[in-house]
Amino acid sequence: MATKLGRVFTVFTIVLYAVTGVLTVWSIVETIRNRPAGKALLAAAALLLLLLIVQLVLSIATFGSAHDVDPLLYFGYVITAILVIGLAGFWAFAELSRWGPGVLAAAGLTVVVMIERLDQIWQ
Amino acid sequence: MKRRSRFGGAGAASANDAHAEETRTSTPYSAMHTGPGRALTAVYGVFALSATARAGYQLIREFDVAPIAYSLSALAAVIYILATICLVIGNRVAHRIALTACGIEFLGVIVVGILSHTHPEDFAKPSVWSNFGSGYGFIPLVLPLIGLWWLVHVGRRAAKG
Repeated sequence: MATKLGRVFTVFTIVLYAVTGVLTVWSIVETIRNRPAGKALLAAAALLLLLLIVQLVLSIATFGSAHDVDPLLYFGYVITAILVIGLAGFWAFAELSRWGPGVLAAAGLTVVVMIERLDQIWQ
Repeated sequence: MKRRSRFGGAGAASANDAHAEETRTSTPYSAMHTGPGRALTAVYGVFALSATARAGYQLIREFDVAPIAYSLSALAAVIYILATICLVIGNRVAHRIALTACGIEFLGVIVVGILSHTHPEDFAKPSVWSNFGSGYGFIPLVLPLIGLWWLVHVGRRAAKG
């Protein structure tokens, strides 16, 4: 995977880590500060959701170039990550207490692990 | 439950919000999913989702490799789903069922944790509960304890009226 495509994937994975990391830390801070999720935090969750969907599309488009990757395993993870962030984002929107960001923090931590697993599976 | 509109006056929502919410709800068991119960419900939801996804994959693709471990994965997924649904429903019956689910979960993680050391051949492949949940940052071990503590707390408050 030392190709141009491989590098695009590496950069994209780093971006995913960064956005998820920022979202998680920010959510924890907001939970501690005892605030509900504001517009900016919800926008960050929406951005992550968008990036995960881009990841899904990218990996469908380039799936042929990956060897020995089980599609059920890989896409199972991508789709679960999309569901987790989507549902947590909706919950944080509906929730008007500190636990809105709390839910987002829990989801963010899960997605960090899932991105790592995705990267491992793809290699 | 009727909610205020999000961005109209939502800025003031803070420390008192959780308490305000509790007094607004109709039964004391609604506390199962309010305040800190929200975070608990969310974590259970995440576990229900990811355990189901993983167990589904294991059952479809490699059930023959470690049938015992994978059956237990499926069982764990079902119990997480059950606990999540009960936390969301939040009434007296759901409280009972959730207590039982958390109890089974804790027992499961202990028994499977011990078995995965004494009978490693049956647990060649990881399940959520093997090695006391070490593959999941020991969350499967801690989660039922937090769940039980919270449910007992809610139950005591409900009993007081």
